[in-house]
Amino acid sequence: MYPPHAPPRTWAARSSASWLAWAVFVVALLPDSAHAIPAFNRQTGQNCVACHAGGQYPELTPYGRLFKLTGYTVGERSALPISAMAVASVSKVANTSKSDDPAADFQKDGKPILATASLLVGGKVTDNIGGFIQITYDPYAVTNADGSFSGHSNADNIDIRYADRFISGQRDLIIGISANNNPSVSDPWNTAAAWMQYVPVPSPTGSRFIDGNAPYPGYGSGGNIAGLSAYAFWNQTVYAEFGGYGSSKGLSSFMSQGIARADKTAMRGTNPYWRLAYNHEWGAHSMMVGTAGMVARVHADPLDTSDPAEVHRYRDMSIDTQYQYLLDPYSVTFQLVYTSNRHDYPASMANQPVPFVDSAGHALPNTNASDTNHLLRTKLTYVYQAKYGGSLGLFNLTGSTNTGYLTAGLDPASLTITAAPDAQAPSSRQVDGNRTGNPSMRGFTLEAFWTPVQNLRVGAQYAGYNRVGGVSKNYDGFGRNASDNNTLFLYTWIAY
Amino acid sequence: MKTSTHIPLAVAALALFVAGCGSLERSRDLGNPQVSATTLAQQVCSNCHGLTGTAVSPNFPNLAGQVAPYVVAQLNGFKSHNRRDPAGFEYMWGLSRSLTESQIEGLAAYYAAQRPMTQQAEGDSSRMEQGRSVFESGIPDKGVPPCMGCHGDHAQGNATFPRLAGQHADYIVKQLVVFQRTDERPEGSAMKVVAHELTRQNIVDVAGYVQSLTQP
Repeated sequence: MYPPHAPPRTWAARSSASWLAWAVFVVALLPDSAHAIPAFNRQTGQNCVACHAGGQYPELTPYGRLFKLTGYTVGERSALPISAMAVASVSKVANTSKSDDPAADFQKDGKPILATASLLVGGKVTDNIGGFIQITYDPYAVTNADGSFSGHSNADNIDIRYADRFISGQRDLIIGISANNNPSVSDPWNTAAAWMQYVPVPSPTGSRFIDGNAPYPGYGSGGNIAGLSAYAFWNQTVYAEFGGYGSSKGLSSFMSQGIARADKTAMRGTNPYWRLAYNHEWGAHSMMVGTAGMVARVHADPLDTSDPAEVHRYRDMSIDTQYQYLLDPYSVTFQLVYTSNRHDYPASMANQPVPFVDSAGHALPNTNASDTNHLLRTKLTYVYQAKYGGSLGLFNLTGSTNTGYLTAGLDPASLTITAAPDAQAPSSRQVDGNRTGNPSMRGFTLEAFWTPVQNLRVGAQYAGYNRVGGVSKNYDGFGRNASDNNTLFLYTWIAY
Repeated sequence: MKTSTHIPLAVAALALFVAGCGSLERSRDLGNPQVSATTLAQQVCSNCHGLTGTAVSPNFPNLAGQVAPYVVAQLNGFKSHNRRDPAGFEYMWGLSRSLTESQIEGLAAYYAAQRPMTQQAEGDSSRMEQGRSVFESGIPDKGVPPCMGCHGDHAQGNATFPRLAGQHADYIVKQLVVFQRTDERPEGSAMKVVAHELTRQNIVDVAGYVQSLTQP
């Protein structure tokens, strides 16, 4: 499947050492003088528009990028370096009938829900150290036996930095180190894999086909890992970052706090991440052209990392560009990312037979030893007065055909369409089904939003699909079409 | 002492060292009166206003060569929330809230000492001529006085009357509209009367003209 999703979040035993690490960081943020004001905009006293283009989180302005790269240290330490945000939403999928169990596939379709809530601890610690920690609560994290849900919190984005800036005369050099838990979360441009997203998105339980589930650039490793990267930004022109990522464990286990060991990404050794970008600003315009990539080795079974052969290998490369025109009260942004990914499977998954035949009754090829895919994602956004905004996003994922993706095919005996033995659960068979072995997905997202005050946004997103699983019609083999997944999503987002 | 106690002590010492070793010369702390105005100008203000006071984006005013009393008055205006136009409260209220008198004076001196850059002239020559006319002669029929009367023959500024030469036209337009339509800059109330009779075209013309000016 693409992109590699973060594992589902379930409760895990929290080690006392890990909680201690949290506590130390939070205590370190507490200042010596008292100003009863939370989070970054309290730290600088500035409005959201200073750092976020048109006031829309998470996209950064040129100033926001410098604020981040200088380690979140501009301003004054605040007494309560905490913010919270919550999303209430309702969504409606175009067709819920082509499902074996609509009640299971679309539990919250058409129902208002509290989709997600986050606690953000962030800000200046010293003149050189600052950070940003997001802890997210998912009210629908666990489905209980009786069909009810249990909520769960876990570490989301974490970025803790040491930064320094040598600036005088004609020279401006920012250097820093970031300890973070998600490759590219340290990046200051919104085309980075960790940031090129529609925000907010709902719980998948509420709406499994809204834009958040459409293909995004990503790294094979996913998040909930631990990495250290070093970066430099020279004369606000050339940006370079190199890092290494490994499993989140021991001292770094707080990076994946709240995620069960079975759901964590277990990486083999240290895995390289790189990023190069050229930035140019002129007048009200700014433009970045860059490239990024990562090579990752991920154990197939996070609970058993003893066999070096049972490892997925990912090689992700991207080219991205971002253009911004920011002149109050106008904000225009264009983003484009192209990624190329190669995925080599462990021996146990490569070259395996599949239980289907072609229409002539011949056996289908074995599963691939490796796959490649290519994703193009672009987004154009306009915001007026940091209040009224709209955007259009397009995505086009193509990839190699692999019989390993099949959830349905022709039965050798009857030559009729039948579900794979391991795809009998309702979601796997129809809604998440695939009858072609091709992962292609194509569609668009439209959004309109209104931000009456900077702490509140009301928006509507519409995600439309014209290709899923390589085809527009009957992608699952049982009659579900790509456009059946088109979804309207209405939300209210509050941040303080 | 046992080795086992050395390690936590070393970690604690390192943590204290790292926490306390911020360099005043490269600090971005807006709440520390010990940080010099030059450091603040370089580490913080430069993010929008440029290292030498020439802002790349017209969203932010050029400060190079700006007259010091005007910068002092504006920073005090932001700090006291007396100046409350959007550009003021969105960007500057918070940044100025803890600046000391000495830091404010130091920042004003820093920018006054910077060499203003020549800005590119925009717009056709006839519009530029209209702008020059408003700047040099005002609009006598409407009782609009010439800008140069207070801002100087070359728009170089004078005491709390700011330098306009080489300022971003977009910034001038926005501020003239603020003066014309609101009371968000009470310290500039003299400008309310001046700007009241200006048409949108007058404003655009004169802003384009002063942007093109260079101090001899």
